[in-house]
Amino acid sequence: MSLYFAEQMVNGLILGSMYAIVAIGFTMIYGILRLINFAHGDIVMIGAFATLGLVIARLPFPIIILVVLLVGVFMGIVIERVAFRPIRGAPQVTGFIASLAISILLQNTGILIFTAQPRNFFFPDYLQRIVNIGQITVRVLDITIIVTSLVLMILMVILVRTTRIGMAMRATAENLNVARLMGIKIDRIIMLAFAIGSGLAAIAGMMWGGKYGQIDPLLGFVPGLKAFIAAVIGGVGSITGAMLGGYILGFAEILFVGLLPPSFSPYRDAFVFGLLIIILLILPTGLLGRKEEERA
Amino acid sequence: MLELKNLHVYIGKTHVLEDLSLEVKLGEIVALIGANGAGKTTTLMTISGLIRTRSGTISFQPDMESSRKEISRRKVEDIVSMGISHCPEGRQVFTTLSVKENLYIGAFQRRNKKDIKDDSESVFNLFPRLAERMNQRAGNLSGGEQMMLSIGRALMSRPRLLLLDEPSLGLAPMLVERLFERLDRINKEGTTILLVEQNASMALELANRAYVIETGRIVLSGTGHELSDNKEVQKAYLGLT
Amino acid sequence: MELKNTKLFFPILIASGALLVFLMRAFMNDYILIIVNFVGINIILAVSLNLTNGFTGLFSLGHPGFMAVGGYVAAILIFPAARKEMLLPELPRWLAMQQWPLLPALILGGLCAALIALIIGFPVLRLKGHYLAVATLGFLIIVRVLITNMEKYTRGPLGLNGLPSLTNLWWVFLWVVITIYVSWKIKHASLGRSMLAIRENAMAAECLGIALAKTRITAFVIGAFFAGVAGGLWAHLVTAITPTSFSILMAFSLVVMVVIGGTGSITGAALAAILLTLVVEILRPLEEFLGAYGISEIIIAIGLLAILIFRPRGLFGSSEPSFLVKRKKTPQGSEAGI
Ligand SMILES: Nc1ncnc2c1ncn2[C@@H]1O[C@H](COP(=O)(O)OP(=O)(O)OP(=O)(O)O)[C@@H](O)[C@H]1O
Ligand SMILES: [Mg+2]
Repeated sequence: MSLYFAEQMVNGLILGSMYAIVAIGFTMIYGILRLINFAHGDIVMIGAFATLGLVIARLPFPIIILVVLLVGVFMGIVIERVAFRPIRGAPQVTGFIASLAISILLQNTGILIFTAQPRNFFFPDYLQRIVNIGQITVRVLDITIIVTSLVLMILMVILVRTTRIGMAMRATAENLNVARLMGIKIDRIIMLAFAIGSGLAAIAGMMWGGKYGQIDPLLGFVPGLKAFIAAVIGGVGSITGAMLGGYILGFAEILFVGLLPPSFSPYRDAFVFGLLIIILLILPTGLLGRKEEERA
Repeated sequence: MLELKNLHVYIGKTHVLEDLSLEVKLGEIVALIGANGAGKTTTLMTISGLIRTRSGTISFQPDMESSRKEISRRKVEDIVSMGISHCPEGRQVFTTLSVKENLYIGAFQRRNKKDIKDDSESVFNLFPRLAERMNQRAGNLSGGEQMMLSIGRALMSRPRLLLLDEPSLGLAPMLVERLFERLDRINKEGTTILLVEQNASMALELANRAYVIETGRIVLSGTGHELSDNKEVQKAYLGLT
Repeated sequence: MELKNTKLFFPILIASGALLVFLMRAFMNDYILIIVNFVGINIILAVSLNLTNGFTGLFSLGHPGFMAVGGYVAAILIFPAARKEMLLPELPRWLAMQQWPLLPALILGGLCAALIALIIGFPVLRLKGHYLAVATLGFLIIVRVLITNMEKYTRGPLGLNGLPSLTNLWWVFLWVVITIYVSWKIKHASLGRSMLAIRENAMAAECLGIALAKTRITAFVIGAFFAGVAGGLWAHLVTAITPTSFSILMAFSLVVMVVIGGTGSITGAALAAILLTLVVEILRPLEEFLGAYGISEIIIAIGLLAILIFRPRGLFGSSEPSFLVKRKKTPQGSEAGI
């Protein structure tokens, strides 16, 4: 039992890591624009397909990571410029619907190019190798996912907490107009939030493909929604909250599947969304979020 | 230094500023007084570029050497970099940032670390309370302390022109007096000030000149003393009969 | 907003609609008739969603969830007992014996959807902003998961097929008329009430809060009822029903209709439903011909983005055409300040 439990914990950690790094982008964008960006999950899909293409092209792995990151960054910037900037200042729901439209657009462009058929995803063999830690067996890939996520998250915290630009990001998230009065170019800050968030999401797509072995154009939807839930658990707008929320959700999901009788497993998604609704109702600011002030 | 000419500003469909003109000369303290909802905040927000004009001009000349520039179509950040600093209504400090970070973000466009540090020292001289609480979250400061921080933050960009929106709001009377002394000092050190105030008597005493705004129009103007002596002003804004 | 000529206008509209239905059934081929049926069902869906939206100020993404509930309930009730034994052998006896005609099954389906809306509405409608939209999306996903797993009643992911083809243009027309009429009544009656309450002065404002919560729930429940009915109509038009029929894409298309139509406008929603259904039906053969699957969604998504950017109030605004109402109240826009 304890070995089984330990293995489940590793699974929770992997899932949680992926949710967490998707949730960071989500929460950053929400923090600044109060925009629930539905299309964020589809960047995960783009990252996964980009990775597959580059693996097929036999590029060295570090280069693949870099290129995938850049693809995500590029997509984030383009989406912000083309779709979200023109409707800035419109009611929140408008942004939400626009993001839904972008999501549908990206998914169907994926279907148009790659068809809806799932494709096998593969990584170089050395990432697939199995290692033993104590009695637990894990793939090198699993460790890579956990470590890479941790590194990315630490970098994020350093960026946001200690740098000048991070300070500007926090200020902009708290009060957009006063941030402008400080001479902060908020257009750049917003672009940066999209760039960083989407870069991270693309990396998550790489991990997602590696973890599940199959990818299709609709794959981003579920991680996108779950990342949103993770962000809500942590308190939307809080970056550390998003990380925490990601891990909590990852573990909760694995425990739900792993500890309850198997007949409950098909209800996994219902459980997750039930959890979302309950959290929205009883703890709308999440674990680490601040109370939402009215911004006129 | 700053000249607004025939400004018309709409918020949504409301015509908030109607044909408003006013002028601030280099080195002056100019007060803008008026009832609630008269359009004072809107005037300041229009100057700093947060609200766009429908028509009219805003021209700004940072000092004698530079040329006069039309700024009503400029971006907020460009206006800041030209030397206008706007301390917004209602002590809007960044509550999640520390006191020190709030000051540093006020100097966001400046790069010289040493200068920034010196300037934050001089803000601490001006408001010693802030120095004690340098590393606390600004959200934990008292209302009055937040107001000081907000003013200090506005000074950090080394403005030529300082726009102050009701800096005395929520301050104890004694503190208000001290605040006005500080403003006088800041002005003597070379910063021109456009001051919006509810506390009309003190504002008129401090100001070189003043304007009275009513429902989006300037209805009176003159030196501080002229307006303090004006019967209408006394009745409406100074509470004298 | 006072109604003008509606006493006369509605009967005329209904009569000419009925004439049109009669003519179409006489002269159109089956393919076109099916498309017209879809148009009608989408009008019911868009107008009822718009009703919810008009009062909560938000797009519920849960509408297909209510459709699914209504659709399954109606399908199980209507399904011939003999076939039920074959497809759903584990159904409880009392249910397996039922074999209802269309109309009562539609109504019961709608009522079930309405009941569920009532239960989830109380907590969920307290949410503000886009959180409500996300919560209703969660609801949609939960409904789908439940349907997929309640195999005893639904045959799980396989769904129910071979449903009797009962839906025809008359039924659809009847429900279109009912939906539009009810929405119209509610929109104008309740708007009038709020305006009155505001005039009553400050104390009334508080009561208005309560009244508002009540109207929100009412609107949500009524919207769900019509979605449930539409689900039943839809199932017996397509003659099959599966959990995947009620997708997020469908929620999206419905929202698109409301946005295009102009939030709050009943006429707009109806016109947009017609427009969008026809566009999809025109694009579908093109998509198949080119083998370019996904292209119609792409076009619709781009179209929606263009509307959001260039015509944020929708193609028709939020008011009804001026020949139907006396005075127009233009909504006030406001700009963000500090
Ligand atoms: N976002 C807004 N939407 C609609 N009207 C607004 C908005 N902001 C301000 N107004 C209107 O513009 C007018 C001027 O407002 P402004 O805030 O400039 O007044 P003020 O003179 O600063 O008042 P106070 O002394 O209360 O601060 C008011 O009538 C107000 O109702
Ligand atoms: Mg004001």
